[in-house]
Amino acid sequence: MPTPTTFPAPAALPVLHKYLKTASMAATAVAGDGLYAAADYLIRFLHTAVLLALWRVIFAGRGEVAEMDLGTVLTYTLVARAFSEQLQPRSGLEHAMWEGTVVSHFVRPMGIAGQFAAEMAGRWLPGLCLTALPLLLLAPLFGVDPRPATPAGGLLFLPSLLLAISVGLAIDIIFCVLAVALDTGVWLLQHVRLAVGTLLSGAVLPLALLPWNLGQIFAWLPFAAMASAPLRIYTGTGDPLSLLLTQVGWSLLLWPLAGVLWRRQRERLAGYGG
Amino acid sequence: MLPQTPAPSSPGPCGGADRGQRVLAAGLMRLLRLWRVYAYLDLLFVTRNLRSLLIYYTSDAVLAVAAVTATFLLAERFGSIGAWTRDQVLFMLGYAILVRAIPDLFFGYNVMHVSRRIGRGQFDHTLVQPLPVWLSLGAEGFMPFSGSGALVPALVLTLWAGARLSLPPSLPWLALLALNLAASVAIYLSFSFLWGSLAFWAPHAAEEISSSATAMLGALKPFPLDGVGPILAGSLLTLVPAGFVAWYPCRALLGLDPAPYGAAVTPVAAVGFALVTVVVFARGMRHYGRTGSQRYLPHGFRR
Repeated sequence: MPTPTTFPAPAALPVLHKYLKTASMAATAVAGDGLYAAADYLIRFLHTAVLLALWRVIFAGRGEVAEMDLGTVLTYTLVARAFSEQLQPRSGLEHAMWEGTVVSHFVRPMGIAGQFAAEMAGRWLPGLCLTALPLLLLAPLFGVDPRPATPAGGLLFLPSLLLAISVGLAIDIIFCVLAVALDTGVWLLQHVRLAVGTLLSGAVLPLALLPWNLGQIFAWLPFAAMASAPLRIYTGTGDPLSLLLTQVGWSLLLWPLAGVLWRRQRERLAGYGG
Repeated sequence: MLPQTPAPSSPGPCGGADRGQRVLAAGLMRLLRLWRVYAYLDLLFVTRNLRSLLIYYTSDAVLAVAAVTATFLLAERFGSIGAWTRDQVLFMLGYAILVRAIPDLFFGYNVMHVSRRIGRGQFDHTLVQPLPVWLSLGAEGFMPFSGSGALVPALVLTLWAGARLSLPPSLPWLALLALNLAASVAIYLSFSFLWGSLAFWAPHAAEEISSSATAMLGALKPFPLDGVGPILAGSLLTLVPAGFVAWYPCRALLGLDPAPYGAAVTPVAAVGFALVTVVVFARGMRHYGRTGSQRYLPHGFRR
């Protein structure tokens, strides 16, 4: 009788089990990146420290600006940095397309979107433990109050963050499909999307603090649903209901679009290597 | 019978120095000839596909500008950042983009991200060239046409801010600008090569370490660091020398640094970083000479 090499999946969670395993494999693979991953965490700490110090310099001698005082801006920045990976989600699809490993994803008995979402969630785990958690716990040492403005804001932050991830993931897939359609370097478009998206989403600067009323324009773009919405809910600088509804709207609009574009372009994918 | 080789001439009191100068001059001449060849190859690449070129070129420009836009927007919104006026911040951001644009121009094709070449076993391609390693690395990444995407916005921003600030276009000031710019680029490259040397010992784990190192500098370069505190500012001038990429040299060039030797600090720091990098990289190469790479595969793919 053959010896079982793996434990059987719990009967109640057969579908979830494979996604959890995928996420677990992705989480442990980050350790294989070693120095590379450690350098990224160091960047995030230093970047956060510089941004917090910069806000103090800018707000010195100033009161409220655009209904935001220094404390609110510091909390906004700290939470934005702690959840920076979630506020700018990357499925890893572009990397798989570049490396050729996308081919092996097609032969697995799982949906493509689910696989990449599970891998993405797995990759977040070390960052959440090694950056987000320490940042939030050590916030008082930075002179920042990490608590939400209101208990309701804290509770609504979670669904808003999940919706933000949903919108971000849809945009990520749309850009990957765009790279296939344009037949150009996938990482190139993704870098541009990340650079521009970070600015438009309010992940670095609160949109209310942008000059020339740019924030009011950017608030109507889907990028704002990725970062500005959950952060405004957390810091109590926006109406939670309208922000959540906007996020739901963008999610409902972008996912079908991503699906249609993906189905049209996936036959054009060519993989070599992996 | 073996051909006779000429006996080496007596070095004389200045012979060693003369020979060194001749070797250096010959090396530089060869570098110029190689640049001409690589410029031609780059031109072929550019003219092969206009659409690809436009996408790459525009993306480079957008990326370069986007990296500093947040700081610009802050300066615009608040009129200043600490002691820096809006136009001074603008000059610093132009300078910061220049420091990124110059390596893009001269050290493309993963020369700047040298850990990728080492980690993937592709450093062998450089070692088999009939050229010294420094010459090979100095020539292979020259891409004057396709790599100049960030140069245009950098020059426009720097010149525009310079005009608004009515900067002294005197020869000594321009010489200081050129010296500091070269020093900032040297620190940028040194930091990439210093971290990238780790790939000699850990080819898999450190394959992307150069890009992480440059990303670190890129993320932290566009901020005026006055007022951030001595520990943070000190860290950003030593451990992660992002302060030397734009803040410190611009502080001296714009007269914001009261120290009379301010404009010399970045060049001196560049020499220090370069020396450390040369020592570490040479040690890495010695290690590589003994172990080689186990990751090389044909077609550039890797395991």
